[in-house]
Amino acid sequence: MIQTAQDMKTYRDRIHQALENKFLRKALDNFASSYKVSRAKAFEGIDLEALRHQLADGKDQALTHLESLFQQFKAKAEAAGAVVHLAATAEEANEIIARIASDNGVHAIIKSKSMTAEEIHLNDHLEAEGFKVTETDLGEWIIQLRHEGPSHMVMPAIHLSRHQVGGLFSDVTGKPVDLEDIDRMVKVARKELRPVFLAADMGVSGANFAIAETGTLGLITNEGNARLTTTLPRVHVALVGLEKLAPDLETALRILKILPKNATGQALTSYVTWITGAVECAASPTGRKNLHIVFLDNGRLELARDPVFSEALRCIRCGACSNVCPVYGKVGGHALGHVYIGAIGLILTYFYHGKDNARAIVHNCLNCQACKSVCPVNIDLPYLIKKVYENILKDEGARPAKNVLLSLVMKNRKLFHTMLRMASSLQKPMVKKDAAVLRHLPFVFGKTQEFRTLPAFAEKPFREQWPSLRPHIPNPSYRVALFGGCVVDFVSPEQAVSLVKLLTAHHVQMEYPMEQSCCGLPAMMMAETETAVEVAVQNLQALDSQAYDYILVLCASCGSHLKEGYSRLLASKPELAEKLRRMQSRLMDFSSFMVNVLKVTPDAFVQSHTEVAYHSPCHLCRGLGVTREPRELLGTAGLNYIPCADEDVCCGFGGSYSLEFPEISAEILRQKLDHVDATGAQVLVTDCPGCVLQLRGGMNKRGSSVQVRHIAEVVAANLKSL
Amino acid sequence: MSNNNLALVMKERAKRVQAVTVTVHHMNDVLRYTIDLTLQENGTTIAAPGLDVVNLQKLEDLCHASGLQLLHPPFRSHSSGIHMALTGADRAIAETGTLVLDSSSEDIRIATMLSETHIAWIPASRIMPDASALSAYMQEKMASPPGYMAFITGPSRTADIERVLAIGVHGPQRLHILIMEDSPS
Repeated sequence: MIQTAQDMKTYRDRIHQALENKFLRKALDNFASSYKVSRAKAFEGIDLEALRHQLADGKDQALTHLESLFQQFKAKAEAAGAVVHLAATAEEANEIIARIASDNGVHAIIKSKSMTAEEIHLNDHLEAEGFKVTETDLGEWIIQLRHEGPSHMVMPAIHLSRHQVGGLFSDVTGKPVDLEDIDRMVKVARKELRPVFLAADMGVSGANFAIAETGTLGLITNEGNARLTTTLPRVHVALVGLEKLAPDLETALRILKILPKNATGQALTSYVTWITGAVECAASPTGRKNLHIVFLDNGRLELARDPVFSEALRCIRCGACSNVCPVYGKVGGHALGHVYIGAIGLILTYFYHGKDNARAIVHNCLNCQACKSVCPVNIDLPYLIKKVYENILKDEGARPAKNVLLSLVMKNRKLFHTMLRMASSLQKPMVKKDAAVLRHLPFVFGKTQEFRTLPAFAEKPFREQWPSLRPHIPNPSYRVALFGGCVVDFVSPEQAVSLVKLLTAHHVQMEYPMEQSCCGLPAMMMAETETAVEVAVQNLQALDSQAYDYILVLCASCGSHLKEGYSRLLASKPELAEKLRRMQSRLMDFSSFMVNVLKVTPDAFVQSHTEVAYHSPCHLCRGLGVTREPRELLGTAGLNYIPCADEDVCCGFGGSYSLEFPEISAEILRQKLDHVDATGAQVLVTDCPGCVLQLRGGMNKRGSSVQVRHIAEVVAANLKSL
Repeated sequence: MSNNNLALVMKERAKRVQAVTVTVHHMNDVLRYTIDLTLQENGTTIAAPGLDVVNLQKLEDLCHASGLQLLHPPFRSHSSGIHMALTGADRAIAETGTLVLDSSSEDIRIATMLSETHIAWIPASRIMPDASALSAYMQEKMASPPGYMAFITGPSRTADIERVLAIGVHGPQRLHILIMEDSPS
């Protein structure tokens, strides 16, 4: 059945295979674009932020007393004629359900869709016990017939083409099926499954919520199979994860308001079913439904008490984190999850299916934050994915050599910067003259890195240029410090040089605190939390001066890490709280400073009307929430901004991600560059040196004439000379 | 919002989810509509759980006259042969074009789940603006178990194959909503 790669080599092979599947990529691409449109439309006129907060807070509240909610539910549901069970483990749940079936003389079982049943591999267990089990949700039926696991939590068969489904149905029915006609295929399922529904003795469903106050189960569905599953057979078993307990109707209505819109862009699904107790059922000897509700713990109660990971239990299984994930869009769910798919799958796999199944897949996150931005219950998915990775490293005892090395070097700024300089001189023989890119890649990178050129280190890092560049502005309007970050300092100092030019022209005194080091995000990405904390403390010291009105960043990733990452990393150091607050209150990205503080005007710039496309860095638009200012600044600086498709989708860089998964990175980049090419613009602007590196490398590789520039460079280039 | 406005929103939202909406003024219109639609779809059988005795008799007479068969409960014994289900709806939610049916009765469940087409009538006065306006009603229903409440929004659907919307998987393939407004007098 489901076989998830347990080591990186096998996993890379799987990814390679997945990337070969052209149908999958096209299907997921189309889905990703249409999902965004329909979701936005579904939420029109709704205060989504408020709703998310309410829902997340409500979930957190409920998670603190799941046991008492369970007791309350049990009392109510049993008073209404149900039997309520609590299974501590997956095995126990399987045994309880099999026992209910055998105690009631059941032969045939029908199922409506339940991820919780997938979690415990219920079908395998029931079939081994001799029961005939039929999935009735169309997608689930298809994958059951193919002996596969779901590739999406809401659309389990999204990886299959109509031709594959048509072929399968024709095998199953023994009759020809038109391979183009989806409507007919759906009717095949209707016709084939109807007698199975009518003959079943027992129906197994999941539940989207379980209301403790009244003992009510809620099912949110589209096909109508869950209604039949809960109505026709004499026995109904509902399998429910403990985290689905909701205190009251109000909470359930909130879930109802957000789940269908966020899952499929529907205002509401075709059916919402509210079952309270054992209703009448003529097929049952007692005249009432034989209703069993099996709650599943399987680690949930422990997870609910975990200070870091409990928020994963807020998940309402909408699947949106897959829908917007650039990696999911390239490799599909079978390569990005075990049973649970997508960002939440990378997290839950570790807790529900063990570290062996999580070990490889947990690496496959770009940290682009797209999932976090659509999560209806505000789960910090990228962060928790890194924390899972950290747990796995701890479990396994031995850290990879690259982690040990990174930590060793990064903790010591002088050593780190010396090594960067050494790397710079070592690469000299490999640098292509006049192009500042590497002629050929050092062998350690291997062939897979050839999808882009890699830049050479700068001749002279910014920190060495700074003493001769430092302007002296008498009576400056502002004093600002630049937090450069490694890429600006050692690879792209021209971006900082542009900043010096712009600030000087606007009477701003700039400083470059020399004690600053790497922001520490790469350490976070490699789950080296301790190192990340150490460099955070160093940087906080370096930036702590009353003399700065603002601390500017040219790198969105550094900026968002200094803001959000540091708050979390330094949460356990109250003695630094004041310093942290001071730093963060002054932290600002380049464009916001130009637009909102300096309030630059068009008369300062040559109105060249050069057409430019724009890439919105993940850590700027989602990390720092800045979207308006860069686009406005382009206009003010005399450039003609041409909107481009999917501007806010990741470029595929993700720091070390592009080294770990070059094939996926290349594919995400290809699509990004295609969108840019479609605009016809000859300049591509962005505001993160990492994105510049990736995008420029890709453009170079395709021999394109499109120039890739940091926004500070193009704005400075248009500055009128004084 | 007035009942009229709510009825307008209800119609517009229900259409978005492929339901057919019609304004009627009298139960006779509902019965006539049911007969006509069944004939038009070449159906032969009608199940009308929950219909009052007087209207049930009228429907029986109309069926006779049209060569249709009015099924008698329990509908479980007709589970493979229900073409049309005619029911009332207890409430409706304008915002999403949703019908709310207390489906605790097994006959209502079987008719509305196994039929090919479902016709539901609803007095305009029972249309609520949104789900939260339904709270008190739902609370009351859930407080007197056992119960099976159904929100129905358009006909049964799926997008499980290539995300192409297909109507009519396991539930009714068509949903007609008859909104009963006071006669203009």
